[in-house]
Amino acid sequence: MKFDSDPNLTTDWPRELRGEGAPRDDAIARLHALLVRVARGEAVRRRASLPARGAEEVDDLCVQAANDALMAILSKLDTYRGAARFTTWACKFVIFEVSTRLRRYAWRERSVELDETIWDRLSDQAPPALKRIEDDQLIQALHCAVEAHLTERQRLIFQSVTMDDVPIDVLAERLGTTRGAIYKTLHDARAKLRRALTDAGYADQRND
Amino acid sequence: MTDHRLDEILGTTGRDPGCDAGLDFIDEYCDLVAHGEPVPERFADFLTHLANCRACREDTESLLAAVREQEDRSAR
Repeated sequence: MKFDSDPNLTTDWPRELRGEGAPRDDAIARLHALLVRVARGEAVRRRASLPARGAEEVDDLCVQAANDALMAILSKLDTYRGAARFTTWACKFVIFEVSTRLRRYAWRERSVELDETIWDRLSDQAPPALKRIEDDQLIQALHCAVEAHLTERQRLIFQSVTMDDVPIDVLAERLGTTRGAIYKTLHDARAKLRRALTDAGYADQRND
Repeated sequence: MTDHRLDEILGTTGRDPGCDAGLDFIDEYCDLVAHGEPVPERFADFLTHLANCRACREDTESLLAAVREQEDRSAR
């Protein structure tokens, strides 16, 4: 295997992290360094979505994400089953932590609210005339279905996520809940809308 | 509005386990993809979720990039 030279890929992490004393402390320090490096790499990947100023704040977020990921990894060590490399399993925690923080940081000065003008911007820019009529009818049917079948909270989540590109983690923070709970609401709203469109004669193939 | 845009809005059909269950599969999936291994059928629901959830799709791309970066470092 070409990666045998990297100690991070060959270390018996579970054994070392379950150990005691200095060897365990050393393993924790090396894992933390790996998590910080991955978090910083993710910040670089996402730099286009981040404000030009604020590099220090972003770095703080990376370190916080690594700290929280390390805590999660140590508390969930017994759930590691070896289906993936240990480093991949560990890195998913820091990716989740840092991406959530960076999405929220990028949106920190933007409000999240129902924007009814979004419906006017939903059509393609310049489709052929016949397609445009079909589009307008479909968009009108979708708009009616949203008004008729979704609760206020479902409308906010559905329109924000699917039409206004508000990150689901930002919504979770603003609404005081979790990514999973927001996604469940979105999933239920989409199912209602697919059924309503089918009943109205659209999108026959879009049943659950 | 393209079918792709409509899929983005309404989501694709199929069993979707959601974000929390998706997190259980993301590491194994990224290892398989990074090493060019075939992705087994049992990942079908996870892949449906990735198609429907932009945040989880982005996180998967990010983890895959991290795995590849680590292997590139190792190969140097």
